[in-house]
Amino acid sequence: MIGLAMFSVFMSFLLLDRISKRGGPGGRGGRGGARGGRGGGGARGGAKGGAKVTVEPHRHEGIFVAHGKEDYLLTKNLVPGESVYGEKRIAIEGADGTKTEYRVWNPFRSKVAAGILGGVDHIHIAPGKKVLYLGAASGTTVSHVADIVGPEGLVYAVEFSHRSGRDLINMAKKRTNVIPIIEDARHPHKYRMLVGAHHFLKNNGHIVISIKANCIDSTVDAATVFAGEIPKLQEQRIKPQEQLTLEPFERDHALVVGKYVRSK
Amino acid sequence: MSSLRNAVHRRNHKERAQPLARQKYGLLEKKKDYVARARDYHSKQDRLKAMREKAAFRNPDEFYFKMINTRTKEGVHITERNQKFSHDFLKLLSTQDLNYVTQQRDIGRKRIERMQQSMVLLDDVGDAPGEFGDDDEEPSGSLNSGSSSIQKPKNHIVFVDNEDEVKSFDPAKHFDTAPELVHRKFNRPRTEQLKKQLIAPHVNKAEVKATAKERQQAMKELISRMEREETMSKLEQEMTLRKNLMLKGRRQKIGVDKDGLAKYKWKADRKK
Repeated sequence: MIGLAMFSVFMSFLLLDRISKRGGPGGRGGRGGARGGRGGGGARGGAKGGAKVTVEPHRHEGIFVAHGKEDYLLTKNLVPGESVYGEKRIAIEGADGTKTEYRVWNPFRSKVAAGILGGVDHIHIAPGKKVLYLGAASGTTVSHVADIVGPEGLVYAVEFSHRSGRDLINMAKKRTNVIPIIEDARHPHKYRMLVGAHHFLKNNGHIVISIKANCIDSTVDAATVFAGEIPKLQEQRIKPQEQLTLEPFERDHALVVGKYVRSK
Repeated sequence: MSSLRNAVHRRNHKERAQPLARQKYGLLEKKKDYVARARDYHSKQDRLKAMREKAAFRNPDEFYFKMINTRTKEGVHITERNQKFSHDFLKLLSTQDLNYVTQQRDIGRKRIERMQQSMVLLDDVGDAPGEFGDDDEEPSGSLNSGSSSIQKPKNHIVFVDNEDEVKSFDPAKHFDTAPELVHRKFNRPRTEQLKKQLIAPHVNKAEVKATAKERQQAMKELISRMEREETMSKLEQEMTLRKNLMLKGRRQKIGVDKDGLAKYKWKADRKK
């Protein structure tokens, strides 16, 4: 109950912020607090900067949200001290004095992150889970998924292109819970030895899929495309649970979460 | 020895100056000045003569489409593209170099990306109620059922099993969170999490105020940077187009863009 009360205080702060944002005049130039971009830099800004940032755990286990001058979506870095694709890292000192390093997850680059900030109910990615990630590309999102599932979990990352597969493999060298598979995702029999479990979702297993309306039919309205894709999923015995469009991060994208039910 | 003596005894050469009485004519002209003037005069005469000759031997049947398509206004050539742009834009266009613009635009774009990445939560907070569409098995059903939502289109559809569940749908219960947090899209902690720990207690009022101000400034900066990016991209496009128009290559007008300016398409010519 105490937690709840404190929470409402925080909410009012955010609302205040929103109002002041619309209020127009006030600030001088647009350059206040602009800082040059420095690539990495673990403990950015030192103790002074770190003290202002507060990290709250996200609804989805293994994900965090940082509040401060700037807001970030974070995952705990599995390999402290290293960035995967040049993303920012933030080190936060806990109450007991231990430092934890987080990596910033950019929702403009990752559909999963966009879905999480959009308020998806379940992502079915949590510490200790096994994830089959189709279309892993260079492994930017995969690295965050690996952070979430942690050392107990596993990520099978499938990518067809050798070129981006190379980056994926390099990333997997550092994260032992990622198994990179450079194979065509449409031919699951080719990599069944690696993943086990026959083709591949177990009964009542979950699926998270991102749909880009333009790639399916660019002539009709995005919402219509999404509505048309749902029955196709149902044909594959996937029971849709929720659908979320990824505005403002992606245009005309939808994230669909479903459950695989083998028998009707 | 003699050369040295000669050198010592030589008097300084003094140029004649314009006599005082003729001062109104300016400096006294010397031979080298005359040569420059004469050369200039003759080159002009030659050009005039060449043009006269050209006009005399003109082919009366000669025709180019430019003779019809271009016009002058009070003796000044009208450039159609320029009339659609603002004065500031034209100034940029004529003074900046394409490479420089591209480089600046790249820098700006990177900065925007970094800023957006750090302001992700700001956007969604405080959204008006009514962002959900509940839906039963048939997704075509109640997508647009909410009439009160003016602000934003619904973006979240929850599929439930039957009509009754649609009627009794309670977002707070569905998301297992506190009712006042339902609209906090970026993070709706579960009730269990809420019981367990405080989440982000901002107690220091001054700090909250300072943060709010900083965010506001950052937001302002981002907006102006995005506007700038738009101008820069337009500028880059226009510069590239003008450059291409000056080069060779068969081209065709393919309609107009939203400003009413011609769009071009180049024939794919084989390059050796």
